[in-house]
Amino acid sequence: MGNWRPAVVARGGESALRFAPIDVGRWLTWGLTALLFFALPFVFKTGFAITLLSQMGILIVFALSYNMLLGQAGMLSFGHAVYAGLGAFFAIHALNWIGAGKIWLPVSLLPLVGGAFGALFGVIFGYVTTKKTGTPFAMITLGIGEMVFASSLMFPDFFGGEGGITTNRVVGEAFLGITYGPGRQVYFLIAVWCLLSMVAMYAFSHTPLGRISNAVRENPERVEFVGYNTQMVRFLVLIVSAFFAGISGALSAINFEIVSAENVSAVRSGGVLFATFIGGALFFFGPILGAVIFIFFAVALSDFTKAWQLYLGAFFVLMVMFAPGGVASLVLMNLRVMKYGLFYRLRDPYVGVLLSGAVLLTGVVMMVEMSYHLTLEIGSGTMMRLFGFRIDAASPEAWVMAIGTLAGGALAFEAMRRRFSRAWGAVQERIEEQIARDLRV
Amino acid sequence: MNTPALKLTDLRKSFGKTEIIRGVDLSIPVGERHAIIGPNGAGKSTLFNLISGRFPPTSGRIELDGEDITGDKPFEINRKGLSRSFQITNIFPRLSVFENIRCSVLFPLGYKYSFWHRLAGLTDAADRAQDILERIGLSGRHDTQAGLLTYAEQRALEIGITIAGGARVILLDEPTAGMSRSETDRAVELIRRVTEGRTLVMVEHDMSVVFNLADRISVVVYGEVIASDTPENIRNNQSVQEAYLGTAVADH
Repeated sequence: MGNWRPAVVARGGESALRFAPIDVGRWLTWGLTALLFFALPFVFKTGFAITLLSQMGILIVFALSYNMLLGQAGMLSFGHAVYAGLGAFFAIHALNWIGAGKIWLPVSLLPLVGGAFGALFGVIFGYVTTKKTGTPFAMITLGIGEMVFASSLMFPDFFGGEGGITTNRVVGEAFLGITYGPGRQVYFLIAVWCLLSMVAMYAFSHTPLGRISNAVRENPERVEFVGYNTQMVRFLVLIVSAFFAGISGALSAINFEIVSAENVSAVRSGGVLFATFIGGALFFFGPILGAVIFIFFAVALSDFTKAWQLYLGAFFVLMVMFAPGGVASLVLMNLRVMKYGLFYRLRDPYVGVLLSGAVLLTGVVMMVEMSYHLTLEIGSGTMMRLFGFRIDAASPEAWVMAIGTLAGGALAFEAMRRRFSRAWGAVQERIEEQIARDLRV
Repeated sequence: MNTPALKLTDLRKSFGKTEIIRGVDLSIPVGERHAIIGPNGAGKSTLFNLISGRFPPTSGRIELDGEDITGDKPFEINRKGLSRSFQITNIFPRLSVFENIRCSVLFPLGYKYSFWHRLAGLTDAADRAQDILERIGLSGRHDTQAGLLTYAEQRALEIGITIAGGARVILLDEPTAGMSRSETDRAVELIRRVTEGRTLVMVEHDMSVVFNLADRISVVVYGEVIASDTPENIRNNQSVQEAYLGTAVADH
């Protein structure tokens, strides 16, 4: 095959830039992310904020690992918590062994234990699941998830039964004063591993295997005809993904000092799917946004209302219906509008939609909260606090007000939505025309 | 040195009770441009699917450069040096044109399933992909999403993906299907250029393309090769005339 002409690449600034040895933009992005991770606990100092940030970091790693399957390779898994959960179980046992002096390992390196066992189970289960694609793959992952969950209750010695396995993360000699006692120290451990995992997973998406996994997502049959065994591609990607899931599992073991059957459950697998999809599976940074939003719902909102899962579910449904590309695609599409200098045409429609949406949301929240209060907390009387006001959930006035707000909000929102939808369509059309014109040049 | 590039021996394929390929014997020497023609439903595409490993044959033998590849998987056959295109455009629609080509050069260049190489550092893969882009006339579409290309451009990309790996034997399934006259002419030039020094087997309905490109033509009717000869002899072959060509050939 000596008939390949020498490189003809150095034409035009764009292709030249592509081959720059050091990508300034990328270093800047990672540098700023690291700085942000470092600065966050100094800005949000409360214990609650640190808890929130720590859990976000853990879920970011988990969701990014999940997206190696869903977004990058087109593999819909309903059992990804298996890898994070089993990684967490092995990590927490290792931590207990460290505490008992049976093995020597710095707690800082514990995530590697989780990762190794995550990957090991990736090899074992992935060998079975990746024989199939599409719906059969999804069904098998669901089945394996149930199997592992059932086993975790069957072998209480290892899995701790209903109560799970508990630990104490403050073990061994303090290194440079780091004991992992205070939550902030744990946050920094999570932040470092989160950053390392993000960089590594981003780098993975720019390797031959990472790119071929994209091709498998697009058109698996064609990949077979350019020399790749797609089953092998899926298998390898699943192992790498399970490794990072295991890291996130170990981080959660350190953070919560408990791992139970819930860690391998379908609820967790569903949660990571929610987070990834809400954030946007088609973009690398999508799951990062999704993890932040999900933790916000699951941790922050759950402090205020018992109905947080209802809100999360509704949010998920709305995203799937109206923004299937997730929050990431919403961000990118608006950036595109700004890039073409057309955002001014959307500004007023946006204000209308957001204001009327806020009224509608208020109505919905009033109805939901009052219903929840009447059914779940009736024992404490019918008086409740809502948006800072004391109201009687059983009074007709409160319901008239709630229904009135809801109806008014719905009418206004529908009108505003139509207006917005027209403006949005017109703007997108303008942009598409412009792109088509550029393409023809 | 006379090992044929591709040799089919008594190849048969049945779907259920229906035998679609009914004992095909064919030998294609190295470097030949070979066209397979025949009426719709004669089994031409099935024949391609058997050779490229998409389906396993029911019986018979397929040899690539003397090596038995019967029953091999598509990726194994591809690694052994045979690459095919598809009648219905079969590309990676949401990847860029450049990525489409680069994906097809990675395995042959030895990067296989690597997750320890950075793509941006693989200048050989990038150079080769760039070279292919120029050969198929799509270097101006480097960063365009493949799914947004025009039909003719997608067909060119299809050929690009097929040849990029450097396979010695190229199978093209109706490369000019659905193209206008001028697009077809350009496609013929493209095929001639990019298959220089390789063995080409193509299924084609457009007789001007067939008689323009092929060194030898095989006529498949009802799952059998009824004639395999030079264009000149095929044109004058009585049984071919009766079975299939009729006036279609006389015009060329």
